[in-house]
Amino acid sequence: MSILTARSARPDRWTASRVSVVWRAFDLQLTTYAALLLCFGLAMAYSNTATAGLGIFDGRSVFLRALMWTAIALAVFLVATSFDYHWLKTFAWPLYLVQLGLLAVTLAIGGGVGGTSRWVSILGLQFQFSELAKVLMIVVLANYLGSRVGRLGSLWSMVGAGILAGPPFLLVMMQPDLGTALVFGSILVATLFMSGASLRWLGILATSAVAAFPFVWTYVLADYQKARLTAFLNPLADIQGTGYQLYQAQIAVGSGGWFGKGLTNGTQNALGLLPVQETDFVFAILAEELGFIGAIVVFVLFVALLWRVLVAGWRSKDPFGTIFACGVAAMLLFQLFVNVGMVIGIMPITGIPLPFISHGGASLISIALALGILQSINIRQGRAAW
Amino acid sequence: MSQYLDGRPMPSPSRLRFLAFGLAVVLATGALSARLFAIQLSGSTPYTALAAGARTVVEALPSTRGLIFDRNGAPLVANTASYSVKVRPSDLPESRRAEVVGKLAALVGADPADINVAIDTNPGSRYDSVRVAQDVAPEVAGFIAESGQDLPGVEVAVETRRNYELGPLFSQVLGYTGPVSGAELPDLKAGGYLPDDLLGRAGVEATYESVLRGQYGLQTVERDAAGRQVQVLRTDQSPVAGSSLKLTLDVREQQLAEKAIKWGINAAGLKRGVVIVMNPQNGEILALVSLPTYDDNVFSEGISRKEYTALLNNPEKPLVNHAISDQYPPGSTYKLVAGTGVLADGKITASSRIRTAGYLQLGGFKFRDWNGRGFGLCNIYCGFGHSSDTFFYQAAAMLGIDRHGYWGKQYGFGAATGIDLPAEASGVVPTNQWKLNTLGLPIYPGEVYLAGIGQGYVAVTPMQLLNAYAALANGGTLYKPHVVGEVIGADGIATKVEPEVIGEVAASDSVLRIMRRAGRNMVVLRHTWNLVDLPIVIAGKTGTAQFGTPDHRGVLPFHSWFAGFVPKDPYKHASDPNGWKAVERTDSELAVLVLAYDSGTLGNAATEIAKYYFQLHFDIKKDYRNFNLLKRGNFYGRR
Repeated sequence: MSILTARSARPDRWTASRVSVVWRAFDLQLTTYAALLLCFGLAMAYSNTATAGLGIFDGRSVFLRALMWTAIALAVFLVATSFDYHWLKTFAWPLYLVQLGLLAVTLAIGGGVGGTSRWVSILGLQFQFSELAKVLMIVVLANYLGSRVGRLGSLWSMVGAGILAGPPFLLVMMQPDLGTALVFGSILVATLFMSGASLRWLGILATSAVAAFPFVWTYVLADYQKARLTAFLNPLADIQGTGYQLYQAQIAVGSGGWFGKGLTNGTQNALGLLPVQETDFVFAILAEELGFIGAIVVFVLFVALLWRVLVAGWRSKDPFGTIFACGVAAMLLFQLFVNVGMVIGIMPITGIPLPFISHGGASLISIALALGILQSINIRQGRAAW
Repeated sequence: MSQYLDGRPMPSPSRLRFLAFGLAVVLATGALSARLFAIQLSGSTPYTALAAGARTVVEALPSTRGLIFDRNGAPLVANTASYSVKVRPSDLPESRRAEVVGKLAALVGADPADINVAIDTNPGSRYDSVRVAQDVAPEVAGFIAESGQDLPGVEVAVETRRNYELGPLFSQVLGYTGPVSGAELPDLKAGGYLPDDLLGRAGVEATYESVLRGQYGLQTVERDAAGRQVQVLRTDQSPVAGSSLKLTLDVREQQLAEKAIKWGINAAGLKRGVVIVMNPQNGEILALVSLPTYDDNVFSEGISRKEYTALLNNPEKPLVNHAISDQYPPGSTYKLVAGTGVLADGKITASSRIRTAGYLQLGGFKFRDWNGRGFGLCNIYCGFGHSSDTFFYQAAAMLGIDRHGYWGKQYGFGAATGIDLPAEASGVVPTNQWKLNTLGLPIYPGEVYLAGIGQGYVAVTPMQLLNAYAALANGGTLYKPHVVGEVIGADGIATKVEPEVIGEVAASDSVLRIMRRAGRNMVVLRHTWNLVDLPIVIAGKTGTAQFGTPDHRGVLPFHSWFAGFVPKDPYKHASDPNGWKAVERTDSELAVLVLAYDSGTLGNAATEIAKYYFQLHFDIKKDYRNFNLLKRGNFYGRR
């Protein structure tokens, strides 16, 4: 029952250190890359607002809301950085319950498009708890796997992690939100792999997942989910139906060229042709308005950010820190690849936001939380050990 | 590797796995970059072209179709703005088609099948919109325009609709416009026609299509990728409005003619009727009525398949202009040909007398005169005036079939008149060569007899018959009949349609004068009952022509004809009480033809209808109509 074992956080050490010394370990690079990506997100929010013919400070302005969320995210980031992450290990089990609770509440009272329940309205703002649940999932898994150092190669570690990840996965599937469920899956696989799980068992797991696919396809996935999954194979087959977003998105991307049409000049953006263009399909507008160069800059920033995240994990002497960093990296990479891949037609359509750039408070705050914890790990390494 | 104090190796994260993760990051972003490059820069996917092509489109800018007026300037066609509903098949998901079409049909009040047929017979590509409903109520159009999500691929367009002010009264002359069909589109495209264009389908709308249509312009519009127009960027070439037409027809004459024939149709129980009024001096048509007819507004409002099928299947063919597109045996009216021929060829003179009888025996057949007794020794006035069949059997035999055919063609029979209306029939003038060509047999002597009285193979259109009598009235000139008098350009400059001579009857003035007097004699002899009592001088010929198959009594159904004219000064004068001198003149400006189709009446229905028209035209207060002659009965025999 190691997940219930609380390790003392020893705040006395923390208070004893000089502030300047502690903050030397703060990764300024990581913060910089994140901030630059956030600027891209704000730029896209601005473009969306401007082309919709709204003033920046109009009540319905996407940009205004993005600024508000950015401010909140910044606060969350700073608080999380200052907070000693070791307490997370102490409260891992309650946090797991909180995660399940959030997902259950979403299922119970959540709203969504077409019979789904994906977000909960708080003060008139739609908040997608499943975004927060992703970070909590990483915390819970990092705590569990970190506590099993030395036994990580055993099958039981994998089974235990799977049991922990199972209920949130199922709750998200029931919303239903296939995309987020797949993010949970990617986090599980990445944390297992990076914590040193047996490659043999991972291989067997992967093989059985592939073998189970026909069963899942037939009995688990709804028709619309199947249609979205297959639309990317031939978006032109049903332009007004399932292939519509993809078709419009690719037209937008294709018309971007080297340097794009310039911010706010995208026609696809202006014509409002892209459903969910400020959220899931924001990359299409970005590629149209900022062009290939702009998109590559975004990719480079993501690679740099992931590098800093992985470096944080590598340097952490605490297994929790390492696994947590790997979980965050996996989450960011998976979302980047699936979201952009969806827009440019190499991945099926799923409702996964592009970190930093897709408009959405929950996503941004969750990432700020994750990166804040990561900075906390950077600052406070060296007390626990692999 | 660091160790615990007790010497055990401290577990540590695997370097290899971190490298693998880093590799995954690089591979993933590399794949995204490569795909992005392919879409944005290499042009290897169709999206680059699509994205560029979907932006601005040069498309046709329709011109305003010309208007049509009667000869006095009364408007007959107006362009009114109306809403059309169009469907762009490429934007209508097949999976939602039934649902969308069902909703649309309910909204516009159409049969879903009609909408489906319209979509499936769309002449353009799937990316061209196809009109599925016309003249939609504004509130319905507004509703549809706002229901983009529920009705994908459905658009509302403001179009000008042809409003035919007088509807059925002029439908046979004006015609209507209809959509381009898939088979025609390749040819029409060169002329700037669009897949959802309308073009003249009947009447002057068809014959004057290029004049009325004008010249389409070009404009550059911005469209979104779904094909919807966003904005007009510029006009590259301004459209030129179509020219307007001023008809030779007169609304009043048309109304009078329609009133006369409608009375006749009701009184005599006719199935079809034709009245044509012409000015023999120039071929201008003053009135043209062909019944039954249709309302051309039904077409411009968007005819349903059911309505159209009903019109097509109507045995009396309301869509056909019976005045020019149908050919009938002319009966006794055709005696003009043999009469002119024997005089002009010198076979007889005006005073030569031919013995008429109850019948002529030819081989095993008896060729009877209509009254069963004959009229004794008869000159041309007597023969034509009494419409003696045996007289004209012999006249035709004197000429021979080829010479008889020659004179038929002199009067314009056997060839289309060239009137400016579509689908004109050319009629049949039998000759030896004609029969050899069509039936591979020579003409038999009995068929020569029959040709003399306008039966057998002879077939004419009402228009040809009228034109022949108009030529008789004006001294032998065949004008091309026409319904359009002036073309008024978009610049307001009017161009008159000049009378066009299509032939001169090669008979001397004296021969034609004799035939006019003979035509007058028919009226004076009271072959046409009390027509002579009218205060005006009328000359002409009646006819009864059998057609079709005998009824249960062995009696053939028949048509009755009246073809005639009045001199310019139509009123009787004391100096010329019977009008002999009046009909010698060639100044007639009014020739009338009436066809009473399938008129199983006691008297000649066509003559009574013509008489009623004359009464109305000349505003004759006394009513000379013989109502009892229009009772059903067997009038066969009286020619």
